[in-house]
Amino acid sequence: MEAAPLSAPRYDDASVRRFITATVLWGIVGMLVGAILALQLAWAPANLGLPWTSFGRLRPLHTNAVIFAFTGNALFAGIYYSMQRLLKTRMWSDTLSSVHFWGWQAIIVLAAVTLPLGMTQGKEYAELIWPIDLLIAVVWLVFAANFFGTIAIRKVKHLYVALWFYMSMVITITVLHVVNNLALPATLTRSYPVYSGMTDALVQWWYGHNAVGFLLTTPILGLMYYFLPRAAQRPVFSYRLSIIHFWALVFLYIWAGPHHLLYSALPDWAQTVGMVFSLMLLAPSWGGMLNGLLTLRGAWDRLRTDPILKFWVAAITFYGMSTFEGPMMSIRAVNALSHFTDWTIAHVHAGALGWVGESVFAMLYYMAPQVWNRKLHSVSLATTHFWLATVGIVLYVVAMWTAGVTQGLMWRAFDEAGLLQYPNFVDTVRTLNPFYWIRLLGGLMYLGGIIVMAWNLYKTATSDSSNALEA
Amino acid sequence: MSERDKVLGHADEADGIEEYDNPLPTWWLGLFAGTVAFGIGYAVDYHFVSKRSQAGEYAAELAAAPKAPEATAVAATPDAIAAGKEIYTANCVACHGPDLHGGVGPDLTDATWIHGGKLDEIAHIITVGVPEKGMLTWGPILGPQKVGQVAAYVHSAGGGQ
Repeated sequence: MEAAPLSAPRYDDASVRRFITATVLWGIVGMLVGAILALQLAWAPANLGLPWTSFGRLRPLHTNAVIFAFTGNALFAGIYYSMQRLLKTRMWSDTLSSVHFWGWQAIIVLAAVTLPLGMTQGKEYAELIWPIDLLIAVVWLVFAANFFGTIAIRKVKHLYVALWFYMSMVITITVLHVVNNLALPATLTRSYPVYSGMTDALVQWWYGHNAVGFLLTTPILGLMYYFLPRAAQRPVFSYRLSIIHFWALVFLYIWAGPHHLLYSALPDWAQTVGMVFSLMLLAPSWGGMLNGLLTLRGAWDRLRTDPILKFWVAAITFYGMSTFEGPMMSIRAVNALSHFTDWTIAHVHAGALGWVGESVFAMLYYMAPQVWNRKLHSVSLATTHFWLATVGIVLYVVAMWTAGVTQGLMWRAFDEAGLLQYPNFVDTVRTLNPFYWIRLLGGLMYLGGIIVMAWNLYKTATSDSSNALEA
Repeated sequence: MSERDKVLGHADEADGIEEYDNPLPTWWLGLFAGTVAFGIGYAVDYHFVSKRSQAGEYAAELAAAPKAPEATAVAATPDAIAAGKEIYTANCVACHGPDLHGGVGPDLTDATWIHGGKLDEIAHIITVGVPEKGMLTWGPILGPQKVGQVAAYVHSAGGGQ
């Protein structure tokens, strides 16, 4: 998928093209594994009776693939593309860009091999074993050096808002990854965390929640601040709002992790901190939503024809919804019902498929024609992708909300004698089964959408020069 | 259009992206201030005024819950045995097998009774379970009456002592 670069060779668009290709390929893999897992939950024989294909081993493969492979590569593509243009300079070092790209893909391949083999640290979203964790740290620091090196050699004075959001990711993810993975190696594949018991759990969820915050939220907001006004050709609604919601968001996010440990052995005061900081995150999150939607003032008519803007509006709407739902779920009384149920699955997928996925798709449809210097092969296929994705998410999320609330209510139902009304776990599983099939259908639609996109982008990248954006 | 929609003029330093400097929406500021005020108020109330706690919540729920019925003497009547068979089929076959010959759990038809084969011994072990071997604590799940019925069935069909 190599083609002539668009503009002056001063920008490194070859790296952007590589990251885009990796995003699409790993996106298909990660979502395919997701669909297999959805099938396994609805129909157990799909586990195939083999350890390597069982739910417990494939589930971390799915989460790691969509978070670090699909989203990770997408973030790098968008950041490499936008930061060079915002700072009017090429990336600081082509060597580091190359090491960053190939190093990151090597990590993904190692993850795809070790997780099905059952090699894990047992920490959610930090399952990878210690040698891979070391490699992640090295590659991440290579990226950080390239990132800050590029800022250092910039040709403009002002740092546009998108760059603050990227910076918060680069700095915070470094700290989170290192602190949560501190461990004493026992063998090449096994290690023991330096923390124990409740401390370990608290560090883990401080990491887990902020991986959501600083990998799936702030960098995507940064990308929104670049790609949305570029696509809409409208000024950003409010610079002031962007400053205030940025600082409020990064300050409050880092304290919210304990909401994953409500009603656990965590001390009450720490649970209160987690709940209260999560509630206070509502307005800072909505500040991003407002700045996104209000930037579209004067461009709403183009929503009818432009799939990129359709994706942005849907993504930002799902962002607003998820960031309302999250604080609600952190309230003790609500969490008592929602915790451990499929409601949590509904919440993360509204965020991951809706906010992250649809933002990434909007960005790819904007960026790919630019870096391959070809008109988008088919606008109508992109629109088809939009409807497949959006209807797929709605089916998925509504099915899991219903399943989650049903599950929570069944678990806490007592009869008049004070005995559990559904003492057998399998009773709930039987009740939820139809919703699991609906979830699979929604997931398959979403997967179908990304395959349509892959074809569309492939045709775009490989079309001949008569389709060039510029002569 | 005085304050509103005035561009800052950074566009040449932001790849052509213009920025307005519009004031923060009032309702948004209100929402932010409101959640901060609620958060502080809630924390103060929870820990210092109402002095609530997780342990306290548990104790209150436990006190409000219906009391478990008093254990009744287990009687191996034909009715109890028939009811016990149904309970056995719904809950026990996965480990002890449809004909009580065992599987994951021990055989209930042979002469070996690890925890005693008398009717009340069988009822007791069903009630407390054998968690270290994977047998659930059935007492709180089934309640004393159903435990008695299923014990009666196991005792009669399995040949207890």
